[in-house]
Amino acid sequence: MQNGEEPNKIISIEKNSKPRVKRRRVDEGGLVLLFFVLLLLPVLVRHDDYILQVFTHALLLATLALAWNILGISGSISLGHAAFFGAGAYTSALLSLESGISPWLTIPLGGLLSSGLGLVMGLICMRLRGAYFALATLAFVEIPRVITDNWDGLTRGSLGLVGLPGLPSLHLGSWYIHIGSSVAASYYLVLIHALFLSGLVGFIFHSNLGIALQAIREEEIAAQSIGIRIERFRLFSLLVSAFFAGVSGACYAHMVRYIGPELVYGIHFSAAPMIFALCGGRLTIVGPALAALILYPVDQFIFHPLLPAGHEFLYGAVLVLVVIYLPRGFWGSIRKAP
Amino acid sequence: MWTTALISGISLGSFYTLIALGFALIYGVTRNFNLAHGELLVLAGYAAYWLWKTWTIPFLMTFPAAVIVMLVACFVLQRLFSRLGEPRELNSIVLSFGIVILLQNAMLFLFSSDYRLIRVPAFGKGLFLFDAYISNSQLILLLLSLVVIGLISLLMNRTYLGKALRATIQDKEAAALAGIHVKAMGTIAFSLGAVLIGLAGPLYGATHYLYPSTGHSVTLLAITITIFAGVGRMRGVILAGWILGLAESVAVILLGASWREMVGAVLLISFLFFKPHGILGKGEQ
Repeated sequence: MQNGEEPNKIISIEKNSKPRVKRRRVDEGGLVLLFFVLLLLPVLVRHDDYILQVFTHALLLATLALAWNILGISGSISLGHAAFFGAGAYTSALLSLESGISPWLTIPLGGLLSSGLGLVMGLICMRLRGAYFALATLAFVEIPRVITDNWDGLTRGSLGLVGLPGLPSLHLGSWYIHIGSSVAASYYLVLIHALFLSGLVGFIFHSNLGIALQAIREEEIAAQSIGIRIERFRLFSLLVSAFFAGVSGACYAHMVRYIGPELVYGIHFSAAPMIFALCGGRLTIVGPALAALILYPVDQFIFHPLLPAGHEFLYGAVLVLVVIYLPRGFWGSIRKAP
Repeated sequence: MWTTALISGISLGSFYTLIALGFALIYGVTRNFNLAHGELLVLAGYAAYWLWKTWTIPFLMTFPAAVIVMLVACFVLQRLFSRLGEPRELNSIVLSFGIVILLQNAMLFLFSSDYRLIRVPAFGKGLFLFDAYISNSQLILLLLSLVVIGLISLLMNRTYLGKALRATIQDKEAAALAGIHVKAMGTIAFSLGAVLIGLAGPLYGATHYLYPSTGHSVTLLAITITIFAGVGRMRGVILAGWILGLAESVAVILLGASWREMVGAVLLISFLFFKPHGILGKGEQ
């Protein structure tokens, strides 16, 4: 038996190692190409507002998916990131609407409040693992949603908030950038945010924190036995993840300029980051963002015109297929080594 | 007012028990969390609505049709679940979450987002008992739920099949060693679950408004009851259903109807907080 297995092993190693080097080059080249396409997109589509808006939203969802994956590194699957997205959106919207503070300030404040909400969730749910954590997050969304829905005096309840201030213009010397009114400018803003977040996720992945989180995901008891403080690391990753989910929500509020409890706390914003992260590959850095950049435009350009009602079935179908056939996600399958 | 709340709580709670039984059975025997439970129930409700509205089939005759639809759906669901790898519980949650989105959008496409209600004339009337008003729908909901729960209870506790199901719930390996066909038990659990959903769906459609995203709250309450009661313990499930029903009617009186949806969520999170090792929680011995 042993003699029979030896050569097999060698062959399999050779099989795997050779193409891997090639693949690396191909996919890294692909990423660089994608970067330039994204950079030049407003020129490529000749400033077609609709296409740019779709890609701006896709990038925003990409930031949400990247934020989701900061928690996902530790192996926790959250079904309730809409709680953070919605809390960030409402905080930033109310602050800028009621007290006239500039959105540049209220957006990070929205992230901070989401982080606070993440702390509450963490203190309650961090004892839970795997499936039970996922169930708790699923139920957790209901709490901020129902509170927002019922606190009519502050949030105007289910009517939602209309006419939110857009992003104010930036002026650098004699240069004015009208982010609020120019589609291309807000596209670039979200692109910068997405690139920053990809860099941050990459940094976390290779930092001690990320290595500890991955150790927790792979083998919790072993991680604990070499001195990783599991609860603290998981809570920290949840706080960071909640912060950036809240920032995404706040950006959404100021770009769409309308929010309502059913909209921002809805199943869409819980499902989207999870689906993108799992489709792209939970163990990769840019996989979640890539999935958002592919799936959302496919949904908007192809399925939405075909099926105005129910076009989002695409996400469900893709998730089912990925869970069964591609548990590593498509980018994770292309890049074997994380 | 409190008597009314008590009656509506018990009636609703019994119905919740009926809803949760299918979820608990499927989870207990196959270890799959089926988040699409509520969506399947709403689908069964829509099937009954469609038959009742377009073919003017009498309400009672929609039950067998809904059961057949659910048997087909649960067969497909079991096929999908059986392809999952470890960790099974988490993967089943993710997979069924995908099915939730699929079903919600399919229902949005087929039935639009309008609110639908199966109007059964007999459900509209009511009677006064002492000083409290009981509507017929509450009475029918209570009686039908109790009958079905009683039948399932008999099946689980008095028959050989029930014994085998309970053994599988308690310990899969030991059950297999004792000669129980565990895979067949899974199929039976899914079929029983389908029958329960098929019976509960039309009832839901006749007592609650149907719209594509309403299944989410149904799923949450099924999870809440299952987590509280544990699986395979009939009395626990009934008790949990009543507690949830009563808590919801008290919350409606004290806070208002819009806070109702939070009750289940808060109860679920607090149950999980106190039983972090899950339903079958043997602790960390």
